[in-house]
Amino acid sequence: MSAMIQTEHLSKWYGNVLGLSDVSLEIESGITGILGPNGAGKSTFLKLISGQIKPNIGTCRVRGEKIWNNTPLFSAIGFCPEQDAFYEELTGQQFMTGLLKLHHFSPSEAQTKAQKALEIVELMEERNRIIKSYSRGMRQRLKVAQAIAHDPEIIILDEPLNGLDPLGRRRIIRLVKSYKGEGRTIIVSSHVLPEIEAMTKRIILIHQGKIFAQGDIHYIRDLIDTHPHIVSIKCSDPRQLASLFIQEAFVLKVNFSSSQDTLLVETNNRDRLFSLLPALFEKHNIDVDEITSPDDNLQAVFDYLVGK
Amino acid sequence: MVRINQEQLSFSLSSLKDVFSFFFSMGRKSKKLKIFFLISILPVVIALIIKLNQFFSDRTSIQGIYIFNNMSIAIYLQFLILILALFYGTSVCSEEVEGKTLTYLTTRPVSKSALLIGKYAAYTSLTIIITGIGVILSFLILNMDDLLNFSLYKILVRDVVVLSLGLMCYTAFFTFIGTIMRKSILFGLIFSFGWENVIQYFPGSTQRFAIVHYLKSLLPVPRTGRFSFLMFRLEPSSPAFSIFMIFLITGVFLGLACLLFSWKEYIFED
Repeated sequence: MSAMIQTEHLSKWYGNVLGLSDVSLEIESGITGILGPNGAGKSTFLKLISGQIKPNIGTCRVRGEKIWNNTPLFSAIGFCPEQDAFYEELTGQQFMTGLLKLHHFSPSEAQTKAQKALEIVELMEERNRIIKSYSRGMRQRLKVAQAIAHDPEIIILDEPLNGLDPLGRRRIIRLVKSYKGEGRTIIVSSHVLPEIEAMTKRIILIHQGKIFAQGDIHYIRDLIDTHPHIVSIKCSDPRQLASLFIQEAFVLKVNFSSSQDTLLVETNNRDRLFSLLPALFEKHNIDVDEITSPDDNLQAVFDYLVGK
Repeated sequence: MVRINQEQLSFSLSSLKDVFSFFFSMGRKSKKLKIFFLISILPVVIALIIKLNQFFSDRTSIQGIYIFNNMSIAIYLQFLILILALFYGTSVCSEEVEGKTLTYLTTRPVSKSALLIGKYAAYTSLTIIITGIGVILSFLILNMDDLLNFSLYKILVRDVVVLSLGLMCYTAFFTFIGTIMRKSILFGLIFSFGWENVIQYFPGSTQRFAIVHYLKSLLPVPRTGRFSFLMFRLEPSSPAFSIFMIFLITGVFLGLACLLFSWKEYIFED
């Protein structure tokens, strides 16, 4: 099967700042996650493959055709931008209908398609409110709606889960997953691994403008799992918990926060640690306030992987 | 041989129409239009004050049409249409870039030229409508005691046409400026109230480098009044040449703006 999107030695820089460097890859239909820390080049890559900016070096082809200034090809693409920007004085419905008319749909077709998309993102009740009055989550969903309304073959979502509450995240994740198996090409970017993991198993890691790794999520997970993780546990008795952990082989080090109410556990098997926690809390009657994994942010993982 | 593809042409025209209707309907409801409508109504208030003053002081020596002609030049031609064209023309491109909404447009199957021309046409139409309302109301107020004199309506039509041509030409110029530079308003102000105001009084052919020269050439030159000496250097071009130049300038700047908008990358500032 030929790739839906192909890039060859794709490079882009903004003045002296490198946006993307020598990226050659192929993206086939299905859901692909673009993962990378902030400023890694994810948005630059997505703008290049959606034809919004032109590469300094290299080529980008969508369905075998060059994308830059290839206007007819844009009807096959739906793009959800990262930035929170709208025509604020329009209502959700007017915004959607207006943009759909630019796809040359008749007014009645545009109306129907707009309503269908608003229904999918659960914004039907708010469709007649002006966008300025929308919450962050509603705005995010409206951006997704305008990207899917014209039924495109390729859907590009740049950080679609940014600023959403857990319910909003679940809605979008469910929506993206619903497209699986429809033969469409969905590209979703994020800087949060679990977000991408929840949507797809196929991911591309971008770091400092370069493709760092590409493949199945398990491969990436394996890379990441070799990295020692620090798990922070704020609980009623961190000292007792420390004494229990110190005997375990997968625990490399334990430490306490300056306020002494939080235990910091360094482990080389995070999954094992997390599976053990509930039983320990229950058995020793320890109340837990918060469990966080500071190392879970992607930048730390990337720093580790590139040997910083 | 270049053959115009009928299907492509109708597709482009349909794109233009779609962009025009999107921005026309959005512009109609915008706060910006309401503000500029209020500004364009100010001459109507001035006309009303003049008329009331004439009525109560019983001084009717100055004809309404004479005041209207002067208002057309001094307020509409040399101030209001410049302001409208400046703020609407420069915003054709810059409000999309600064508002970061450009992405919604450039990811649609509409050529960038159609986007630019469609939005330009929508904004020019809106400014013509609000200017026209102000001009017509001013005319009716100033000539309320002579409304059955139908020869006066020719003057009204002529002025509305000249002001519309002015809006068309200046908006095209400022659309180009807004496409090429970021601080376009500052440049526009210098151009409007510096260059245009000064160059038109230069002797010889120099004054032909000002758009206002061609617009004024379509209007009669006021002969009386304290400041009429300022007009003595106006050497009008023929009406046909003036209209040709107005369309040429509009076409050239719109063409350049389209070329630039199609090939320039607009990077949003974070």
